[in-house]
Formats: sequence, structure tokens, C-alpha cells
Amino acid sequence: MTVLSDRQQLSYIASQAADARLNVELETEGMTLNIGPQHPATHGTLRIICRLDGEQVVWAEPSAGYMHRGYEKLTEVRTFPQVTTLVNRIDWLGSFANEVPFILAAEKLMEIEAPPRAQVIRTILFELSRIANVSLFLGDLGVQMGAITPVFLAFRDREYVLNLIESATGGRFHPNFDRIGGLKDDLPAGWIDETRQVMVKLREFCDIIEDLLFGNEIFQSRMRGIGIIPADVAKDYGLSGANLRASGVDFDLRRDQQLPMAWDKADWKVWTHPDGDSFARCWVRLQETRESCKIVEQLLDQVPAGPIMTKVPRIIKVPEGEAWVSTENPLGEMGYYVVSKGDLGPFRVKIRSASFNNISIVPWALKGVYVPDIITILASLYFILGDIDR
Amino acid sequence: MDPLSDGATTDTVAEDTPALPGDGLRDSIIDDLRRRLGDVIVDTHISPNDDLWIRVQTDAWRATAEALKAAGFTFFSFISGLDWLPSPYGKGEEDPTAEPVEPDTEIRQGVTGGDTRFQVFARLVDLDRHVGVTIKADVPDDHLVVDSWTTVFAGANWHERECHEMFGIGFNGHPDLRNMYLPTDFEGHPLRKDFPLLARMIKPWPGIVDVEPMPAQDDDTPDEAAATEGENAS
Amino acid sequence: MGLVDKGRMPAPLTKLFNMSRSYSLWVYQWGLACCAIEMGAAFGSPRYDVMRLGVIPLPASPRQADFVCISGTVTDKMAPAVRRLWEQMPEPKYAISMGSCANCGGPYWDSYSVTKGVDQIIPIDVYIPGCPPRPEALLEGIVLLQQRIKNEDMAAKWRGEEFTSLQTTRERERVANQPAAVEPVAAREPIVVGGGPIE
Repeated sequence: MTVLSDRQQLSYIASQAADARLNVELETEGMTLNIGPQHPATHGTLRIICRLDGEQVVWAEPSAGYMHRGYEKLTEVRTFPQVTTLVNRIDWLGSFANEVPFILAAEKLMEIEAPPRAQVIRTILFELSRIANVSLFLGDLGVQMGAITPVFLAFRDREYVLNLIESATGGRFHPNFDRIGGLKDDLPAGWIDETRQVMVKLREFCDIIEDLLFGNEIFQSRMRGIGIIPADVAKDYGLSGANLRASGVDFDLRRDQQLPMAWDKADWKVWTHPDGDSFARCWVRLQETRESCKIVEQLLDQVPAGPIMTKVPRIIKVPEGEAWVSTENPLGEMGYYVVSKGDLGPFRVKIRSASFNNISIVPWALKGVYVPDIITILASLYFILGDIDR
Repeated sequence: MDPLSDGATTDTVAEDTPALPGDGLRDSIIDDLRRRLGDVIVDTHISPNDDLWIRVQTDAWRATAEALKAAGFTFFSFISGLDWLPSPYGKGEEDPTAEPVEPDTEIRQGVTGGDTRFQVFARLVDLDRHVGVTIKADVPDDHLVVDSWTTVFAGANWHERECHEMFGIGFNGHPDLRNMYLPTDFEGHPLRKDFPLLARMIKPWPGIVDVEPMPAQDDDTPDEAAATEGENAS
Repeated sequence: MGLVDKGRMPAPLTKLFNMSRSYSLWVYQWGLACCAIEMGAAFGSPRYDVMRLGVIPLPASPRQADFVCISGTVTDKMAPAVRRLWEQMPEPKYAISMGSCANCGGPYWDSYSVTKGVDQIIPIDVYIPGCPPRPEALLEGIVLLQQRIKNEDMAAKWRGEEFTSLQTTRERERVANQPAAVEPVAAREPIVVGGGPIE
């Protein structure tokens, strides 16, 4: 086990001890609690079957597949440009971010690179979709604790970001804006100034949420010390994104790998938290939203002039080969393993989505917790059903 | 991209490209793995300063995971399968009036080669050195079973369930290979290439307009000919 | 409501009832996929504010709901649950299908696990096309549903007749006298937001 804080170790031992004690002390009749497949707290149709002993969870198993749409099979019967339309919809809150790794993988196989202007605009839109995604998480977090106000704030301020995405790409939700070799269109006039104003609003939103939620005593007592995931367990299960960083692992694919994107042009920080509990996961996400605002603001000053599209053949045939590209999406590491046989479409695409791994830890994380904590742990792990089931 | 033998890979990298820091790193990973595992590495491929593929013998599938974990690759990314059979159905969007094309049945494995129709592949990442590795192994055609990784990486549990459901590959030692996504009475393994998408067979695909001719383009390019064909078909 | 039980109601009274019903609709939101977020934006956000239309989101259970909004992809695994939800709702009940996936399968028209259209499982009153539709489109769908409710003949519906559009006695006689010439309006001919035929 890696080095843990005292509190982490204590709670870890306590949860282990709870396991052992359950069988000995509380010989009550077990009960099966079925949450879902349709439940407001599950962001879609995740079903969780828990076996309870009194108020404590003895065994929990998420039952996925209610949103399985067969992306990996469908990509095999689409052409490369058509695939972005599909993969948009995997993580439906941060759609643009889903396109980017796939396009980068295709570009890697074709050995082309988008022009600098397209790279910067891609990065800006990527971060905007992260803001749109995480701001809804921050609002929804309150609902799951019984506080309704944050979700109204989140929906209000998220609309500004969606308007920006819509004015640049034409789609509120599913932009389908990325093309192999660049972008579909250039930015509309006045977009950069407008984005600057919206970023100010989003920073205010983060401050409000921090005051309303993170400073709230009830919130803290429901989140702190609950659902602790030590770093080695997190790595074993392949947790990524804020869930991994909240366990104290300093890893961010935006910083730690070389991609033809513009993150290295901005000055920003990767936040980690040593605790690994629910509070840490939410806190890291809040800080990341601020960092995203920072990245966007810096990149707005650096959008270079030039074309937005490199020269590509009109009918795109990707050369034979295999490529893996993953990026740090709002939910975590999103990667595509693209196998091409030189056809119009991919031969096989393995989609590595973040939520699938993030949720596979649920049977481990829910063991020994109390029923109200199920919701907070699930909320803090933050998943999107399309991202689990694909 | 022909599979290259071990020595050839290293030589080509050393000769063709200038020495990049990543190459030495990836070479040392292979050397280290060879020291730990002995003679189970069948083939390797390095994309300089970018990526690394290792193919191991089927029997050493779990041992490879253990060795890589000990070597610092502690972050588990995914496990999945590959079916190298070319799809007998094509894309299901060919011109129905045209002569049926003889389907390509030759199995050609990708990077690092292979001998069987099915392969399992997985990816592990070293979070300190920021380097990832893709591991592949053949799955014997007559006995579609490999060892499970669940004892090494707990996160492999769901991935192996998914792979079992999608490809019908069994995992020896997995605690619970139930269906993950599909109803229990679903028949077939959807990601196998010989699993047909029935909807495509009933209804022609309207997406052929993707190769519609652009107004400003010349008519004599070979692409254009393909586009006109597509237009006639739809 | 004894009049309804007997199967006849004066038209003005029906109109009054219908107006009351149409402006106090409890909606059960069955959010399944991407569209659920746009539905959430329509129901839960201050910008779109569905309550000004007299629609109340978030009932405690489908047993208290007047209509259901199916938003998102219905998979074959989910379909039995959708059917069960529909059967739990008390009459009179209505259904809105939001988004291309729920309408016909949408981008997953060739998938092996997606139900191509929720109308195979439950009767749909209003289809809202789009992927996903904007919240405004959902609001328009709700307004169209309210118009349908206002024109409904409650008594006929209670009797289980096919012909449930509210009409005056004279109109009904006219239709009854000319069965060959005038096609009666189908009972639950669906409405499509934005118009256009349904294939």
C-alpha cells in the first residue's frame, strides 16, 4: 500500500473491520435494495442492487447495460468522418471532448496534424465542454444531498457555455465539429470577446458553489471521510480523471503526454487532494473548472492566424495500422484504440471510456457503507451512463 | 506495417530515426520485461517516442501482467478483444444491383502479428514515467480461453465480462462471467465480425451521400468516379 | 364525475374539465440519455421554466403522473421497464417521445441492442424530433399536447371509443351521416412537433 494519511488509513481499517463485524454481531435478516434502473441520482439508467444488513451495505453490484447502444460495433460499419457523430454521444455532457481523441487517432494514422489555429480552437472548445460538463455535476451534487438551489444556478450558468458552443459549432449538445485535419468552420466574429465575458461569469459560479456547497457544514459532514479510495486501489481499478487525482496521484494526460493540442501554451495547475474521499473528488473537480477557465482565458489571447484545415483528400482513407490516443476528458481518461485496414471505415475501435472503470469500483467502494452514503459516493464518483455502457 | 522481429525492430529504430529519449525508455522496458519473464515475448513494436506494443505467448498472459505491475505499470487502462476475420457482410451498404464482390477472408493481424483469429489486448500505464504499453496475446482458435487478470488488477473484472460477452472469449479464473450489457437470453457475440447487423440487411444505408460530389470539384479524379457510383446506388 | 361514468357529458362541462386538466399536468420524466439533460434544462432551469405552462415536473411516482416524457434511447433491456411504467400510470395518460432515439432509433438505427422507436411499446401522442431537441421544442410539444387534451371528448374516451376528439352534437351527427365521405379522425393520431408526416 502506498503512503496514506492517518485518517485515510483509519477509515480504511474501519471499513475492513466493518466487513468482519457484520457477520458476527448483527445477525439481522438481510434485505435487498434495488436502486434504479431509473433514479434521479444515477444520471440515467444505472441500476444498483445492494444487499443490506440493517442500514449497512453488505454487497453491492451495479447492473449496467440499460443504455448499451453498441458503439464499438456501429463504428465498424461507418466511415471515419461518420464516427464522430456517434462518439459525440458517449459522454453527452462533454460531447466535443469525445471527438478529439478519435480524430487525433485517425490523424496519427494518416500522419497529418491540424494547423496551429485549429489546435488552439480545439483546445478551447475541449475546455469549454469540460466546463459545461463539470458545472452540471456541481449543480447536481447539491440535488443529491437534498439542496435544490445549486442545480438552478448550474443550469443558468451552463446555458452561457452552451450558447458559446452553439454559436461556434452550431450544436448545443453534439457539435460534431471536429474533422480529420482540422475543424469544420472558423470561429464567428466576436466570439472571443463573448467567451471572455462568460468566463468571468463561470468563475463567479464556481465561487458561489464553493460558498453554498463546499463551505456547508452538512455537506462536509456527509462527504468528508466517506468513500475513501486509496491510491493503489484506484490505480488497480483504472480510475482516472479527478477520481484518481483526489486519491493523491498526480497524473493528468493533458500535461503528461505529447499531443497536437495547445494545453502546453497555457499556464495552469494540476490539482490533487491527499484524502481520497468523496469531498476530495468533488473539490478537485471544482478546482479543475477554475483551471479550465484559466486555460480558456489564456488561449483566447493566443489564437494564431492561419487556416483551420490542413489538406486532406476528400474521401478519407486511413492507412493500415493501429493507434491509441487518449485524452483527459471531463470524466477521466477517454481513449480510442483504432485499427484501420486501409478502408473508408475503421476495422475495429476499442473505446476506453472513463466512467466504465470509475464505476467498476462501486462494489468495492460501497462495501460497509450506510445507505445514505451510497448516493454521495455515487455522486462523487461522477459517471454518465452513456460513458459506462457505450 | 509488417510485424517485425525483435532485433529488427530495435535496429530499424536505431538507424532510421534520430535517437529520441522515448526510444531508450521503451527499449529498456522490453529488456526489463524479458529479464523478468524469460522467453515468452513473441514480438514487439516500438513507435518511436510514442507507443509500445508487446505480444506475449498465451500461457504467459497473466504472468506478463504481474511482471509489468512489478515493473511500475500499476495503472490499469483496459482489456478487450480483437477479431481479425474480415467481416463477411461488408458494411451492408453496397449497391444491391452490382455483382456481389467476393468477400476477403484472409486473416491479417495488425501490429506485432499473430497466428489466430482472436486476440486479447490490454493497456497498462506507468504513471511515474508517463509511458503506456499495449500487450497482446493470441487466443487459441479451438479453445477460446485465456487466464484472467482479476487477481492482478481488480479492475479487469468488468472488462473481462465485457470481452466475454462481446467476443465469447473465456477468462480462466474469473469469478463471475455474467452478461454485462445484454439481456441474458441474447444470442451471439456482437463484436465478432460474423455477427450480422440485421437492420442493415433489411434497409439500405442512407449515409452513402457522404461521397456526394462537391460542386467545385473536377469530374475526372478517381474519387469522383467512386462518388458518382455511390450517387447512383443511393 | 358520475356524468362521465354514464358516458355522456355536456360539451361546456367537458371544455371546463379539459382546460383544468391541461393546465395541471404532472409529468413523469423518464430521462434515458442525452435528451434527459435537455429535458432537465426545460424542467429544472430558470431559463425555460416549464411551470409557467401549468406543467409540474418531479412527481413522486408514475401513479401520480398525467403524462410521461420518454427522452433518450430505449434499449431492448430497458423496454420492459418502460412498458411497466406506462402500465402503472392511471388513465387518462399521455406520452411524449423526445428525441430521434425514442422516435425511431436515431443514430442507432442499425444497432443490435436499441429498440427502434418507443412507439413499439407504448402509444405516443407527441413526437419531438431532434438529436437532442432544444428545450424550446419540448415546450412546444407540451403546448401541442395541451391543445389535444383541450379538444378531447372525455366521455367518449371513457366509453373506450376510437373517436375521442371533442365535437358538438351536430358535428358528430354530420360525421355519422356521412361515413363514407368523411374519414373519422383517428383516435390517437400522433402530433409531430414541427409538422411533417410520419412514415
